[in-house]
Amino acid sequence: VKRRVVVTGCGVVTAAGLAVDRFWQALLDGDCFIRPLTGFAHPDLPGLLGAEVDLPPEDRLPENAHRDRCGALALAAARRAIAHAGILEGADRDRIGVTLGVTMGEERQVGDLSERGKTQGLAAVDAGFAARAGNHRLSSSIAATLGLGGPVLLNATACSSGNAAVAWGYELVTSGAADAVLAGGADTLTRLIYCGFHRMSALSKGICRPFDAHRDGVSFGEGAGMLVLEELEHARRRGAIILAEVAGYGLSNDVHHITAPHPEGDGVRRAILQALATTGTPPDAIDYVSAHGTGTPYNDLGEVRALKAVFGARASTLPTSSIKSIIGHTNGAAGAIEAVACTLALVHQAVPPTVNLAEPDPAFGMDFVPGKGRAMRVDTCLNLSAGFGGSNVCTVWRRMTS
Amino acid sequence: VTAGVAMTGVGVLTPLADDLAALGAALRAGRRTITPAAELPDVGEARIADFEATKYANVRGMRLYNRTTRLGICAARLALDDAGLDAAALGEGLGLVLASTYAHLDTLIEYDRGLATVGIQQTNPALMPLAIPSAPGATIALAFGAKAFSITLANDGASGLDALGLGARLVGSGRAAACLVVGAFSPCAELTLSLARAGQLAPADAFRVFDARHRGTALGEAGAAVILERSDHAAARGAVPKGFVRGHASTFAADPGHAERALHRAATTALAAAGVDRDGVALVSAGAGGVPERDRIEARALAALFKETAPVPVAAIKASLGDSVDGAGLLQALVALEALRAGTAPPIAGLEQPAVSGPAYLTTPTPLTGDVALVTATSPLGACAAAVVSLTEAPNR
Repeated sequence: VKRRVVVTGCGVVTAAGLAVDRFWQALLDGDCFIRPLTGFAHPDLPGLLGAEVDLPPEDRLPENAHRDRCGALALAAARRAIAHAGILEGADRDRIGVTLGVTMGEERQVGDLSERGKTQGLAAVDAGFAARAGNHRLSSSIAATLGLGGPVLLNATACSSGNAAVAWGYELVTSGAADAVLAGGADTLTRLIYCGFHRMSALSKGICRPFDAHRDGVSFGEGAGMLVLEELEHARRRGAIILAEVAGYGLSNDVHHITAPHPEGDGVRRAILQALATTGTPPDAIDYVSAHGTGTPYNDLGEVRALKAVFGARASTLPTSSIKSIIGHTNGAAGAIEAVACTLALVHQAVPPTVNLAEPDPAFGMDFVPGKGRAMRVDTCLNLSAGFGGSNVCTVWRRMTS
Repeated sequence: VTAGVAMTGVGVLTPLADDLAALGAALRAGRRTITPAAELPDVGEARIADFEATKYANVRGMRLYNRTTRLGICAARLALDDAGLDAAALGEGLGLVLASTYAHLDTLIEYDRGLATVGIQQTNPALMPLAIPSAPGATIALAFGAKAFSITLANDGASGLDALGLGARLVGSGRAAACLVVGAFSPCAELTLSLARAGQLAPADAFRVFDARHRGTALGEAGAAVILERSDHAAARGAVPKGFVRGHASTFAADPGHAERALHRAATTALAAAGVDRDGVALVSAGAGGVPERDRIEARALAALFKETAPVPVAAIKASLGDSVDGAGLLQALVALEALRAGTAPPIAGLEQPAVSGPAYLTTPTPLTGDVALVTATSPLGACAAAVVSLTEAPNR
């Protein structure tokens, strides 16, 4: 009998909220949290915008709050998800693992070294740098703090990392390697991401507008999203509240370009098709798509083409939205935060909107749920993520009924 | 779950040799390649002399890639050729899993230092996409057309075995017809300096593994790659497997005091997944690299694992090659297979006085009987991994 995987807890740390309920209401309200940056600046890029997290003091890491921010975000979301699931008490913690995805992860450690290196040269390299610079520190720190002894994986598939972490968590639970996995993603705002996207002309000059005719690039955010993925019978035995089922996933890689997505969305299409096929889900069963929707001209075009290739004429009426318009593109965290949004859509029977959508691209002709969230029946939904370098992940989420 | 996954091609690039049979012979001869580090002579390291990537692979954009990425690309090329696999003919059927904790790091440092010192406009924009942790994997996937998936796993010393385990699972479950699993490592100056200042690196002449005189590790360059295929896929195209991935498990020690138990748990779980009893293990290929506390943890875990069986020979190739971090686990697995095939295991170079008694450390080339090896690895932060590899397929397959 195949082991089924359900969600029993969620934690988010986003500009839209530090608690799941607040986060969800902010999404439905269609507020936009992309604002002038306060905690990060670069002299070559005045007037930067982004969606920053107001992290309370108790969630900050004591040694260096700026440099260690990614770790603080990840741990804060992990703690919230674990508390939400109520899974630790009496649990065999050796059977609980961690899968975490990042795009840049600990890049601020290198930024800190670069700044100190301007005057100190290689003398700026301290004994702790090697340990801090490895992104596996983030997942290891979560496991160590929570006393977990199951498999601990850190994956980097760029902006699909958070969704990929859900996929690996699903694999660990279905394979029997773990009874539960804390799966998610985290990233913070970094110099490299802003400067790099600026040089590639992929950074929005204003606020990102996914699927809009005048979209001009990404707006970044920071944050983390974590989910407790648990084997169904394990969850039932302990009387856990089951929020949703992770039915499975699909993977693909564009093999097109180191930065640009495939223009026809070929990789995204293949990931969706694999996700549908491996979960036995007919396309007509999909009620909602949580799109990658970065707001760059090429991403949105390729993604729309992929959706039309899979869903045909139904794509025009299939509710599809991008919460990156609300909390910015949180890179490695994005797929995980969007996975939390999919879970909440199934729980609350509503879908979040795409905001800043003043003039939907007329070439697209789809239902992007503009402006405000929408109450509707949601039994099955897809979470799409596409990463720099062409790595695509599509996860399938189902409503759990008694 | 991972039974039925064949290893049909291997590629290795190490300071001792660039093919597996020659590497096995050099290790059995007790050769070691640890010399004073060029930039920090107080510590030892193992470098591949005269490495020229274009000798192995012709890939567009290679001149922009850092040394670790080049090692990964070249090892992948060798493995594909060894498997006789035409990546293009696989269409969407080839996947990639890269073990990489640090493969991007020197490019990231270079790019970020430019941003800090000369500003955006004067910094080479072509470096930006290569400074992202997923970039080495993306470039390897792009080079060889890995359309099924491209995944990068970071777990320091446990990365290689984790990558092997995930690759085997994805192939075994039909996500790809074949999967390139790659691990590569070339230490940058900042990494070496930091570890040296942390007291983690030993002088070249004092580098010992499992030895009571161990004083730290020595970083070593390496590239390693293996092609995984479902056994039926390999058989259908007439490929001769070099070995099989029979089982894998990973665990975590949330408290340093639990590390020995966590590694023991990983090993027993991997053996159970493989359907192999402890007395069915012919060889242990250990991850020990000369850091005293990690060597002791591994030695105690192995002593406990085999306390009720006949002594199982323990090899530790880092004693000869240094610690290639993300490349190490795969190298250990491949060398173990080669030793099983040769019927002789390599000695642990330089080992004279074991720090922990119990395991059957190899101090001379030793004949082997059996065809199953257990491979173990740890990370300094608590991750533990184990894999079971064999020359023959599981009997129930």
